[in-house]
Amino acid sequence: MMQSYWFGDVGDDGCRPFKGDTAAIAERVRSLRIEMDSFIPLKWQSAADCGTCRDREDYIGKLRGVCMLLAERRIAEEYRKKDVALHQMVGTLDEMDNVINLLTGRAVDWYQVSHPSFSRKYRRKPPRTLMKTISRRGGGAISRMAADIERLSATRTALAREVSDLAGDVMPNCSALLGGLVAARLMFHAGGLTPLARLPASAIQVLGARTSLFSHLRSGTPPPKHGIIFQHRRVHNAPAEVRGKVARTLAAKLAIAARLDLYRGVAVPEFLENAQTKIDAAGNVL
Amino acid sequence: MIWIDGVLVSRGEGGVYGERMLGNARVWDPYRSKLGALCYKRKRIELAPDMRVLYLGAAHGTTVSHVADYVGVVYAVEVAPRPMQDLLEVSRRRKNVVPIMADAAQPEAYASLVEEVDLLYQDVAQPDQAAIALRNSVFLKSGGTLILMLKTRSIDVRREPEAVLDETKAELEDRGFEIMASEWLEPYHHDHAAVICRKG
Repeated sequence: MMQSYWFGDVGDDGCRPFKGDTAAIAERVRSLRIEMDSFIPLKWQSAADCGTCRDREDYIGKLRGVCMLLAERRIAEEYRKKDVALHQMVGTLDEMDNVINLLTGRAVDWYQVSHPSFSRKYRRKPPRTLMKTISRRGGGAISRMAADIERLSATRTALAREVSDLAGDVMPNCSALLGGLVAARLMFHAGGLTPLARLPASAIQVLGARTSLFSHLRSGTPPPKHGIIFQHRRVHNAPAEVRGKVARTLAAKLAIAARLDLYRGVAVPEFLENAQTKIDAAGNVL
Repeated sequence: MIWIDGVLVSRGEGGVYGERMLGNARVWDPYRSKLGALCYKRKRIELAPDMRVLYLGAAHGTTVSHVADYVGVVYAVEVAPRPMQDLLEVSRRRKNVVPIMADAAQPEAYASLVEEVDLLYQDVAQPDQAAIALRNSVFLKSGGTLILMLKTRSIDVRREPEAVLDETKAELEDRGFEIMASEWLEPYHHDHAAVICRKG
């Protein structure tokens, strides 16, 4: 029975070497379809018989060359996928939100110490106005810090827009149902578009509600009704008694939408229209 | 294995992941490496210079780098691109590491690259860990050793780790593996068990 290995084909009548450079061998390895039932692991001596290598050291050296080239190519391919870029952007965006909130809190506390008249009523103003005031009046390091936070907020806004645009491109159906930003977050939590498309609707529904899901599984607390998709207005605006139902319907449609996004890559109007109707209907309280 | 005053080390070029050095020996931290932890728990574990190892779930290559200091050649399989970049860096500096970017659940993708090995080592976070080991056992010579680092929480969080371990052992025995020992990796790693078996 003939066996195909990276360096050539080995049969009862000896070895037929594969002729080509490292790149050609890498291509060969990718295209080989190996039947595991009748598979026999290679012996490096066959490669020597084939004339591929002189000795063991040479064998390992050549094999490493092929494997490293294969790995480098596959890494590049993985990173070229658009959802990988989107993944990084969403991660950065959420981290930025965290940092901005933390620093804003710090800046306000600090400013209040040196300006006792800066009372609670100011605190109710939007953070952006606060930072403007502090950067104007604070002086010294605190001014600079407030100005930096302002700049970071502006960057955050620009990034959010880019995320939303790219999400509309990479996952048009999910974005149409959820809005680009939330759709991108959903994909982020699933670990990519492919993993998201493989999730059942029930998992999509509670994606991002890890803590409460595990406390439910472990100790039987009530199950979570929603995770990330709570951020969608139709879920968080829905009356409490139907919120679970809306989340369930939305998740079911998202599971289909994610698969459409992965395998078709374009918006499907008939599906979207039907899905919107179903989701709206779920939110109607009789 | 090499021990210096009760500290597990390996001899090789340092600076792979910021590990501590004792002279020219690299300290093998049991809290960072499950194989390191297993060596601390079972002092009879040995890696020999003539060994060939298939390492599934190589990740960033920290444990791989220590294994490579001891053995002849390590075939290191990892599927995720980010850890793979680190693993490539490790294999550039260790000429006996063969990095393979593939899914350990699909050995047909790398079957044409891997020779028969003496040790099959598996550390993957998947629900079907026994099945993956069995699928890769074709590369293991008969009489060879399988070390399966069982992440019981990846198999089923709702069940008791002990039950998951028993089930996995039964699955391996069913398919002709002789269970030599199993060991929980407390206090170094929680809910992780090492299953050591021999291929019949």
